[in-house]
Amino acid sequence: MRPFGPRSVAAVLAAAALLLTACGGGGDAATSAAGGDAGAPQPGGTLTFAVGSDAGCVDPQQVASNDTIYSVRQLVDSLTDQDPDTGEITPWLAESWTSNADASAWTFTLRPGVTFSDGTPLDAQAVKANFDRVPQLGVRGNLPKSYLSGYQATTVDGPLQFTVTFGGPNVQFLQGTSTHSLGILSPATAAASDDERCAQVVGSGPFVLDSYTPNSSIVLAKRPGYAWGSSLWEHKGEAHLDRLDFQIVPESGVRAGSLQSGEVDAIGNIGPQDEAPLQAAGAQLLARANPGIAFGLAFNQARPLGADPAVREAVSWAINRPEVVSAVYTSQTKPATSVLSSTTPDHAPQDALLGFDAAKAASVLDAGGWAAGPDGIRAKGGQRLTFEITYANNAASNKPALELVQQQLRAAGIEVALAERPIADFATIQQSGEFEALWFNLTRADPDVLRTTFSTKLANVYRLPPGPLDDLLDGQAAAVDPATRSDLVGQAQQQLLSDYGVVPVAELTTTLAVGADVHGVRYDASSRIHLFDAWKQSA
Amino acid sequence: MTELLIHETAARPTTATVSPTREPRAVRLRRAGRFALTRPGLVLSSLVVVLVVVSAFAPGLLAPADPLLGVPADKLQAPSAAHWFGTDYLGRDLYTRVVHGAALSLQATVIAVAVALVLGGLIGLLAGFVGRWVDEALMRFVDVLLAIPPLLLSLALITALGYGTLNIALAVGVASASSFARVMRSETMRVRRSTYVEAARSVGTRWWVSLARHVLPNAARPVLVLAVLEFGLAVLAVSSLSFLGYGVPPPAPEWGGLVAEGRNYLATSWWVCTMPGLTIAATVLAVNRISRALDGEWGRSR
Repeated sequence: MRPFGPRSVAAVLAAAALLLTACGGGGDAATSAAGGDAGAPQPGGTLTFAVGSDAGCVDPQQVASNDTIYSVRQLVDSLTDQDPDTGEITPWLAESWTSNADASAWTFTLRPGVTFSDGTPLDAQAVKANFDRVPQLGVRGNLPKSYLSGYQATTVDGPLQFTVTFGGPNVQFLQGTSTHSLGILSPATAAASDDERCAQVVGSGPFVLDSYTPNSSIVLAKRPGYAWGSSLWEHKGEAHLDRLDFQIVPESGVRAGSLQSGEVDAIGNIGPQDEAPLQAAGAQLLARANPGIAFGLAFNQARPLGADPAVREAVSWAINRPEVVSAVYTSQTKPATSVLSSTTPDHAPQDALLGFDAAKAASVLDAGGWAAGPDGIRAKGGQRLTFEITYANNAASNKPALELVQQQLRAAGIEVALAERPIADFATIQQSGEFEALWFNLTRADPDVLRTTFSTKLANVYRLPPGPLDDLLDGQAAAVDPATRSDLVGQAQQQLLSDYGVVPVAELTTTLAVGADVHGVRYDASSRIHLFDAWKQSA
Repeated sequence: MTELLIHETAARPTTATVSPTREPRAVRLRRAGRFALTRPGLVLSSLVVVLVVVSAFAPGLLAPADPLLGVPADKLQAPSAAHWFGTDYLGRDLYTRVVHGAALSLQATVIAVAVALVLGGLIGLLAGFVGRWVDEALMRFVDVLLAIPPLLLSLALITALGYGTLNIALAVGVASASSFARVMRSETMRVRRSTYVEAARSVGTRWWVSLARHVLPNAARPVLVLAVLEFGLAVLAVSSLSFLGYGVPPPAPEWGGLVAEGRNYLATSWWVCTMPGLTIAATVLAVNRISRALDGEWGRSR
């Protein structure tokens, strides 16, 4: 018997195929160098945008992952917009707004003539339908729910005028109205179930959803007759581009290669190793630090290890932030100096609490009763100092960053296991508490993000015990005076970090690379993008 | 007495095919030397396999450094005298990681082949020996297994079992059991009809005794050769699955995982992905070459 001839050939071919698939994805540099003045915008064309992950949903109110926000942001308009330079709130769908003295009731006046792409008018009734529905959303809707926390009712004062009332002061609500999370959907979409909305949404934005294939692509088409863009945008009327084609390409090397070969026009989430080749190929790198909570570790304090303050503090002293940032992230990234990143309003640096000090980490653990074991890992009462960090695959830098953190912590006698989970499962993991420590960040251009994440009166994902932090967080949410609010937010950051409720490591910096012939891609205040003004230069 | 007699008869065909005459020691040595000299590929393959086995059992001998400890300042350095395979994105020495990863990859492979051999062998033996409806039922089951692409079947099993090296090994083992079952069945059917087995049955040997004593030893040889060949394929299957992220969690240096880690750096640092990839390829090819030699090349070489 000799049935092995073809089999060995198959084995050789399979070996070669593994090598090829594994190593495929390099590309030739084909695009020409960026020209000087771009000239007048040219209408038409399709912009192909490669992103790394898919949140499994196209409903702006239920999406929290930047990769998917890039596309769904274009589907909806918001009541207001926020100036990325000044943080000032400016008109968009709402022409004007006022609040009562303690910021518990907000009255908006809408601009006339706005319609959804299904033809229904965008009026006060439609906004009411949206806001009434938000509190009923599931865990995917945590963002808009937190913006509307304490929501009581929306009363329609006239066809284009309405008042939103809250149970208590809600200062952050105004910034919330500028985000994609409170983007206005058609009343029919708002009434549909959570899952139906994830597959199909109708908004009033400059683009409409053409098709969505999960884990493959999100295709948008220009909305004809669009004439109600934000006051911050450059031109009036319809968008320049005819179509937006968002491709999901998980490999950062393949994304970079696709841009270099001209197969796509823009890519998200570039790795540090791709910076130089992309620039050499003439691509433009657009970077902006994300406001909100910086990338870091937060412990589940319902677990024994997470509840031990010595462990949390030692972890913070044992992490060498500058080393992580320089080894893993793009050159524009900065080490975290507080729980909030430096582009967030009211960011207060806490450098004294966030240094790297191996000796201090060791003495904190010694004092906490954790003695070094034979293999270098510390233990207390027979329990090894080992925990698992859960992370999502939504940024290519997550795994290398955590591997380096793991190495740094091991030097301090702390053992860490890493567990990667799909980004689509993250909300469920947070809700259920099935984690020991999470590697996470949260983008929001308002310091109230601290309250929504860490207040024990809300979702309290990290199971913090109630304490003085709650009062500070509630206080800033009610502080109508900007100076008072800034002071309270500063105290809250200090309180949170001196308890080591969170261990910030690096500020997420969104770095997009766009081809030399693409112009007008602009960041909003939350470091997400608007593609209304974007256009492609024809060759 | 009768049993003893049958045993002798049973043993004869095997000994006859393997070494009909004993050669003097010197002649055999000279022949072995000539055999090796004319086959440099086989010698090289054996060397590769020896190195891989040493890496698996005593990685410290070949690479004394710590595979998990990186020096970020030395990241992404090209292969050099200091770092034979270069360094990865955290400044970890790739050669050290590949050597230390051999144990993980090989462990999974050995378990996978063992599972496939035992499971497939038993199914084949039972089907071939009992025949009739048992044969029909088992072979239709094997047909189903063969109809599903092995990698897809492994993926489905892992989804059910969960991640990890052992689960990968089980999944690959179950997915490749069907080919063992087929070969074992055909060999069993051949041996079952031979005179000495029929004689044993006719004098009243119980069926399980004749199965264990007469059928299994004579039918197992081709299956064992197949196991060596499957070893190469299993290295590949295990690596593919850990490439896809189903293996041990980072930072453990499994071969497939190493290739996966390097894929984002291919345009700028080719060695991060190429060196572990070449190691996998070399191992698979070496094992293939050796299994070809085992499949009678020595006997034919005369």
